Amino acid sequence: MKNKENNRILSAAGIVGKQVGLIIIALILATIFLAASGYEPLAIVNGILEGLTVDVAGTIRWATPLVLAGLAICVTYKAEVFNLGVDGQLYMGAAAATAVAVNLPKDMNHLVSLLIVFLAAMAAGALFAMIPALMKVYLDTNEVVSTLLLNFIAALYVEYLVTGPLRDPEAGTNLNASAVLGENTWLPRISFFEPSSANVGFYIAIVVMIILTFVFFRTSFGHEIKIVGSNPVLAKYAGMKPKKTILQVMAMSGAIAGIIGAVEVTAVQHRLLAGFNPDFGFDGIVVSLLANNNPIGVLFSGIFFGALKNGGINMERITDVPSAVTDIVTAIIFITISAKFVIPKLRRKGTEKTPVRQGGK
Amino acid sequence: MAVAVEMLNISKFFPGVVANDNVSLSVNEGEILGLIGENGAGKSTMMNMLYGMMEPDLGVIKLFGKEVRIQSPNMAIKLGIGMVHQHFMLMPNLSVLQNIILGKAPTKNGLIDTKAAKEKIQEIMDTYDLPVNLDEKVYQLSVGEKQRVEIIKALYREAKILIMDEPTAVLTPTETDKLLEVLRLLKSKGCAIIFITHKLREVMAITDKIVVMRKGLVTGTLSTSEANTEGLSDMMVGRKVNLNIERNEYQPGENVLEVKDIRALNQRGLPALNGISFQVARGEVVGIAGVEGNGQTELIEVVSGMLKPTSGQVIFKEKDVTAQNVRQRRESGMSHIPEDRLKMGSATNCTIRDNLILNRYYQKAYCRNGILNNKKLHDLSENLCKDFDVKTPDSDYKLGTLSGGNMQKVIFAREMEADPDLLIAAQPTRGVDIGAIESIHHKIIEVRDSGRGVLLVSAELDEILSLSDRILVMYEGEIMAEFKRGEADERTIAVYMTGAKRQGGDNDEK
Repeated sequence: MKNKENNRILSAAGIVGKQVGLIIIALILATIFLAASGYEPLAIVNGILEGLTVDVAGTIRWATPLVLAGLAICVTYKAEVFNLGVDGQLYMGAAAATAVAVNLPKDMNHLVSLLIVFLAAMAAGALFAMIPALMKVYLDTNEVVSTLLLNFIAALYVEYLVTGPLRDPEAGTNLNASAVLGENTWLPRISFFEPSSANVGFYIAIVVMIILTFVFFRTSFGHEIKIVGSNPVLAKYAGMKPKKTILQVMAMSGAIAGIIGAVEVTAVQHRLLAGFNPDFGFDGIVVSLLANNNPIGVLFSGIFFGALKNGGINMERITDVPSAVTDIVTAIIFITISAKFVIPKLRRKGTEKTPVRQGGK
Repeated sequence: MAVAVEMLNISKFFPGVVANDNVSLSVNEGEILGLIGENGAGKSTMMNMLYGMMEPDLGVIKLFGKEVRIQSPNMAIKLGIGMVHQHFMLMPNLSVLQNIILGKAPTKNGLIDTKAAKEKIQEIMDTYDLPVNLDEKVYQLSVGEKQRVEIIKALYREAKILIMDEPTAVLTPTETDKLLEVLRLLKSKGCAIIFITHKLREVMAITDKIVVMRKGLVTGTLSTSEANTEGLSDMMVGRKVNLNIERNEYQPGENVLEVKDIRALNQRGLPALNGISFQVARGEVVGIAGVEGNGQTELIEVVSGMLKPTSGQVIFKEKDVTAQNVRQRRESGMSHIPEDRLKMGSATNCTIRDNLILNRYYQKAYCRNGILNNKKLHDLSENLCKDFDVKTPDSDYKLGTLSGGNMQKVIFAREMEADPDLLIAAQPTRGVDIGAIESIHHKIIEVRDSGRGVLLVSAELDEILSLSDRILVMYEGEIMAEFKRGEADERTIAVYMTGAKRQGGDNDEK
């Protein structure tokens, strides 16, 4: 029994080691790229180190939406559904949060108003995710395409809102944004990190992560997600309802995306801005993949990408290295992870017929 | 004749498992060696080493008397070894010709010399009586033709040693006969052939000598003329095999399942079932014989609740369940062993436990308010593994690490644990070895003897004949004939299976 536990720890350590290895490979490649383009080669490494040591606040600020986006992706990925629409869903969440927040009485209890705002955002995200989910389940539409295209609709819809119905009448002509929200709907920032916009959303992300871990590993619903994800025909044969499960995970994913929107609006910007979202949803895919779609891992990989993003921004401020370089690192990590999926497959092909059967003990 | 292959004192170790322990075998030119053994006995490991996919930890491989180290399949091919895999290694979108010359095309001025290639292949096809249309795309070919392409591919690469990995597992009886003829021809031209199988009848029919393996060891090397099927299966399993199972006297009770005039469409929307009616009583096995694709799959799906019939009724334990879903039917006592254990019956990348608890995970005893009682589920799956003799250290291993026979045991365990009143068993022994067949057959008869009903669908007539109390023959979505146990032999049934005859004339339901 003890031996088994040890093996489990060893294999977990192995997985973590591999992911760290991937990061190191990506960083080396990025460093080479920087050196070749004539920039300070260690800029990106320094940026990350700084993000993890001196400027933790900035890292937490960016890690919050990235962890949540990673969680939104990993929920659906477990059921073999691909939600590329986290960006659209978080826009819708932000829009709903704003619409509700500006209409709440200014003297309403802080906690109650926040709760209402967040519930509205989650509902909006979930409902918007239902569109591609229903299309997939009933019309057999490929969700990769539909979720992706709906992102544009959501982004443009938010743009319409902030130039029209929700526009702050007192804003200058150049600013397309909603009115500033009442303070009773602001999500508190973490006072320790003032004046950074690192906020309580990070705690929300941790709570969501814990809930998902529990759902995946300890509930019957988690078991259904796992079976639907690995073999939908088996799920149907065993009397599960794969369609329902797909709708449920998409709703969960959309709701988590909605939380991102609400956090960004109520804690960071305090108003709805057009195009406030720098593709958190897409970064979430890499966050989740780097974590092997394990929610606990998502927390750490989200923090890493938070440090990367933060480091990139700092780097741009101090040196002349553009922050877009961080996107290159992200891309390289993405490619190395994809290679990680392909290489074992190729290797397995070679030894496919190897009967490494478990003999009885 | 000269010795073609010698594998001497070969051992191969995997972490925690000895796959081959001091195994030796040899084949002469112009000889067919039958390599038999249960799944996981180490046959494939031996052949993988011969084909260069892995190297032995101990021991020597000699080809034509010369010691060699085979480090890759490429090297094996250069040394004259060809392997026809059970799952074909062909590119479905390329033509037969392109597949054959892939990687070894004759060139002229830097271009592929199609004419020379065709000539060479034509010669092979003529010599060995292996006709295939070279211009056809591979995906258009039947399974038997694809296999022919594989053989031609090996011969085109000038293989003198041919490894056939369970070549007949995917073939119809006629295709099998043809293949055996080809093998005889190859043998007469001096080819050395290693023939892996678990079908003893074929081994007896075609081989010159036989090596039997079990648990990584050779348990017998003998010439075919001295062998008999009983002795071989005992050697394979390591004990007496008894496929003649004792059963209680046939005393059918009340009907547990009644199917009334079912009509249904298949996936493509074409009629698959055209008015099927029959009953299954407690204490009987009803066998459905028929060539695959004559509506058996749809029939099972209708009975189990996965497919809605367009008309007709399914009555289970005297209740109309036509409108009930799969879970409702399962809960009222219907179990189902699916015909495709990989596609439908299991999730190979989940753990054995995940697969075993499918009928239970949501039930009160194992799950409160949606939260799983992992301890109880763990005990359940460990006990099932023990009771059904699933060979695994514990149930947290991935299902995919098990052999086909053990996987089938897992499915069987899951379905039997539900204590069903009706067991639907579709191709329950497909692709499993004799030992597992024996235990599955015993279990099926146990179910019958304990007063429950069994609906058995199988493409193996042997299986239908030995297990069923009543036999229904299906052809194009209709029941052509019904026989009592012992009333009909294989040949009679085969006539009805092909639709050549129908009992009691047209439209006369028996």
